[in-house]
Amino acid sequence: MAVTTDDIRRRMAEILEIPEARATPDTVLTDLVSDSFRLVEMAIELQDDYDVIIGQSDMADLRTVEQLAELIRSRVAVP
Amino acid sequence: MPLSEDELFVLSYYRTSEINGSLFFGRLARALRPGPIQHDLSKHFADEAQHAWYWTSCIDRLGAKPMRLSEAYQDQYLEAAGLPVNLMEVLAITLVFERRVINQYAKHLAVSGLHPEISGTIDRIMEDERWHVQWVRDALAAMEARFGKEHIDATIARNKAADQEVYARTLAEYEARLSFLAAPHDKET
Repeated sequence: MAVTTDDIRRRMAEILEIPEARATPDTVLTDLVSDSFRLVEMAIELQDDYDVIIGQSDMADLRTVEQLAELIRSRVAVP
Repeated sequence: MPLSEDELFVLSYYRTSEINGSLFFGRLARALRPGPIQHDLSKHFADEAQHAWYWTSCIDRLGAKPMRLSEAYQDQYLEAAGLPVNLMEVLAITLVFERRVINQYAKHLAVSGLHPEISGTIDRIMEDERWHVQWVRDALAAMEARFGKEHIDATIARNKAADQEVYARTLAEYEARLSFLAAPHDKET
């Protein structure tokens, strides 16, 4: 089954141990965490979960939960 | 012979840097999945914490108390290099940093008349540091198939440039305190 941006958004909330309602599509990523290194930990876990690669240069252009989820979704290999 | 204030500052700087390193690797070790990298990174984390203890103990044996420093080298280095986003980037940043650490400790070891407590502590730490460089280099080599050798080399080169910039800035900022390390035979490797 294809992964959706909503699946990824929910997984972000799980990793960060925050209520799903806090990770809305429009939420700015840095607003989800108290320190930016937490985003690094989340990015590494998401890449493990979905077997994708995200780099520094990708993150430079991303601002919101939806943008990150969409990037990951676009890189997930179609089964 | 008691520690001079400059020496105490440098040893405290090392201690703070080792503490920050252990916190960085500890958080990563917690986030990673089981596997060879999680294994080695956990050991790396433990080593850095141990090194912080070595410096604490060394300063204590020299009759002083560690200075409380707000920032370590890594803070400025990470700011200049940018936060890594994937494991390869984490290891590339680490490789460059560990080489810097070895270089700095070697420089300190070359100071004439160095107190045996300090040289002994550096010798002890250097053994671990060589292993740090080795495991990180091996792990990066194993990642070549996934990330591409060129991309990895470019990432290392980018981080090296950031490190050189921060090191030059640090030397300038603490010029007076670090002058005892600047022996004429100093040469960056």
